[in-house]
Amino acid sequence: MSDFECRLKMYRQLKNMTQEQLANQVGVRRETIMRLEKAQYNPSLKLAIDISRTVEAPIEEIFIFR
Amino acid sequence: MKKAQVRRIIVSGIACILLMAVSAWYSITFNDSRLVKPMDASEYSFQIRDLPMLISTILLILYGVYLVFLLVRAILDEKSRETQMQTTRRINPKYGFFGFFGLFYEGKLSGTFMDERFRENQMKAHMKANQTAVKIIFLATLVLGQGKLIGNLEYTLIAFVIIVALSLALEVFLGEYLLYRYDHDDRIEESEE
Repeated sequence: MSDFECRLKMYRQLKNMTQEQLANQVGVRRETIMRLEKAQYNPSLKLAIDISRTVEAPIEEIFIFR
Repeated sequence: MKKAQVRRIIVSGIACILLMAVSAWYSITFNDSRLVKPMDASEYSFQIRDLPMLISTILLILYGVYLVFLLVRAILDEKSRETQMQTTRRINPKYGFFGFFGLFYEGKLSGTFMDERFRENQMKAHMKANQTAVKIIFLATLVLGQGKLIGNLEYTLIAFVIIVALSLALEVFLGEYLLYRYDHDDRIEESEE
C-alpha cells in the first residue's frame, strides 16, 4: 500500500512526453518512471526535483503524501 | 595493470621460487637439511650456513605479502570503479551455467543502466543475502557448538567449515538472484503510457 499519490502521468501527458523521454531527461530507466506513476516507488529528493523541473510543475502537486 | 608490471611480478615470483629451491638444495647437500626437514623450533640455534634458507624464506614471505597487497588494492580499485560506473558490468550469462555464484543472473542484467531505483534494489538484495548467510552461520554455530550432534570434534569442525563455505556461496548467489527478481518483477508489470 503506497503512502502517497502520484500525478506524474497527468503532468507528463500535459507536456506531451513519453515515459522514455522523461526517463532520459531525468537520468533514470523507463521502469522507474512507470513505478513512480503507479506510486510504487518513493523517489529521492533529487529525482523529485528533476522531475518537477522537467514537467514544469511543483513537487507538492506531483507527489501528494498522505 | 600494465604488461611490464605483470612481467615484473611473475619474474620476481620465479626468482623467489628458484632462490628457495637453490637454498633447499644447499641445505640438504651441505647443511644436514636444516630448516628443510621438520625440526623443533624451540631448540633452534643460528648457524651461518642457515643464512641462504633464512633469506629465501623471508623473501618468499615478503613476496606473498606483496601479492596480498596487490590483490586487496585491485579489489578496492574495482569497487570504486563499480560505484562510478553508470551501467552494470557486461557478462555473458553462459559463464554462470547452473546459476553458480549468481553469474547467470548477473549476466542477465549485464549492461543495465543503474539508476537510483536499481541501486536501491541492489542494496536491498545484498542485505537480504547477507542476512540469510549470517542466520545460517549463526544457527550452525549454535547447533554444532553444542558438540552433541556429531559427537566427534574433527567431524564437527569439518561440517562447520562446509556450512560456512556453502553459506558464503549462497550469499553471493542470492545477492544476484534477488536483484534479478526485484528488477524482473517490475518488468512484468510494465505498461506504456
